[in-house]
Amino acid sequence: MKRIMTLACRDCRFFNGDPASIEAEFPGLKSLSSAYSSVRADAGICNLRELFVSPSRGCKDFERTAEFHAG
Amino acid sequence: MANNEMEKSPAMGWKELYLKEDWWAIYLGIGIVFISLIAFLNGSSIVKALTINPGGLKWSSFDQLSDHFGKNINLYALQLVSWLVIFGISTRIMGIKTSEFVPSFIILYVLSIIMFAIGGWVDAAKYNLEPPLVALIIGLIIANVVPLPKWMDSGFRVEYYIKTGIVLLGATFPIALIASAGPVALLQATVISLATCLTIYFVATKMFGLDRRLASVIGVGGAVCGVSASMAIASSVKAKKEHLYISVTLVVVWALVMIFFIPFVSKLLNLNPGVAGAWVGTSEFADAAGFAAATAYGKMAGNENAAIQGFTLMKVIGRDMWIGIWSFIFAMISCLKWEKEECGVKPSAMEIWWRFPKFVIGFFVASLLMTGITAGYAAADFNKIVKPGLILPIVSLRTWAFIFCFLSIGLTTRFRELKSAGWKPFGAFTIGVLINVALGFLLSDFVFGSYWMNLGK
Repeated sequence: MKRIMTLACRDCRFFNGDPASIEAEFPGLKSLSSAYSSVRADAGICNLRELFVSPSRGCKDFERTAEFHAG
Repeated sequence: MANNEMEKSPAMGWKELYLKEDWWAIYLGIGIVFISLIAFLNGSSIVKALTINPGGLKWSSFDQLSDHFGKNINLYALQLVSWLVIFGISTRIMGIKTSEFVPSFIILYVLSIIMFAIGGWVDAAKYNLEPPLVALIIGLIIANVVPLPKWMDSGFRVEYYIKTGIVLLGATFPIALIASAGPVALLQATVISLATCLTIYFVATKMFGLDRRLASVIGVGGAVCGVSASMAIASSVKAKKEHLYISVTLVVVWALVMIFFIPFVSKLLNLNPGVAGAWVGTSEFADAAGFAAATAYGKMAGNENAAIQGFTLMKVIGRDMWIGIWSFIFAMISCLKWEKEECGVKPSAMEIWWRFPKFVIGFFVASLLMTGITAGYAAADFNKIVKPGLILPIVSLRTWAFIFCFLSIGLTTRFRELKSAGWKPFGAFTIGVLINVALGFLLSDFVFGSYWMNLGK
């Protein structure tokens, strides 16, 4: 079901929430934790600003993903 | 931009139920408990047979060891296949490549048997060859000497194994103990978490002038649950990737130091194992590392149960469960104070649930379930029938899960790959560690020692 929500990082093309990519990006992360854990929720990397962000956040550089356009 | 309203894809929602290892740990742990119970009630010994390991052999010659494997090769093969099926299918659904997981897990399994065999040597205790520490050291040596290919990490799932082990631990953890010692654990955890986090935060920002986002990431990482907490807070405060790199390095290095430091200092001080377990739970940074330290000291002190109980109460119940609240508080601070202009959606209180370490639910369910099932047995019947037929097989499977975890910590820790943390973050974190360790010892041994000493009886 689709919901009306504010634009957020989740639908930005610079956002990467893939757990395998996150574990590869941060050496040592999987030694004592995991990107597949509930604690991470669906946080990910902003490849534009080099941030680790919650997908519900946003910024003025937002650019939509292809999937977002496809609706 | 950020205020426009449009249709967009929903959050993870129900997908979490099959994409997160916390839920899989619950399914596997509770599933194993049910299968064990059914086997127990039907008089079947299949689960008991599948818990085989050479850890209790007390062997003194290689002939004895090879004789054991020769006689039980079929059981070991069946055991390997069972682990491969349950972990292989679940990791596949989470998105981990089976073609990478299977060969990696087989190597992990073989190494685990070697760890059990070392622990089963008649003189192992004499030389402090505790399986958790041996597994960790051998894993570290292999990972840092042999250039293991990256794909092998697919089978070294530290968190998945420890969470599965913790759910299984719940099945042997009396719910009455949680009710009686839980409040003490919460009080001690609150004191230590606040003291550590505030120390690191203020030293980092006021003394060293570090970015407040970095200070909050390393502060909560040191105070609550290490790398997992760092990830949660980093995303709440929109931290730079560099901040998370730094926190991961600091936590991994200090957690490894503490795995050895606390057990051996506890031994020097001849601490009660329940007290030492609580100290580990107060001052270790990660569940996996803490279980290694608590299990090792429990074995040294001759009461593994007490050390594990103390650790679990302090770390899992006292500290881990509250990460969502920490995360929500920092998200609010970040959104309302630090980055008002680019907040996006205002943080929701649901964050507390989203980030809740769900495997803890499995721990409670397993505890309630087994407490209810075994409540009708008299003490003598419990010790004669239930313990060997139901409890010990579950304990043995838990030990397997823990050994997979301890080896995986070592096998995934490649020091050359860790990013440099810098002296200022290292200094701030280290001051927090010193406060944490000293305060943790005082609280565990002097202030609340009378509670922790009663564990494991």
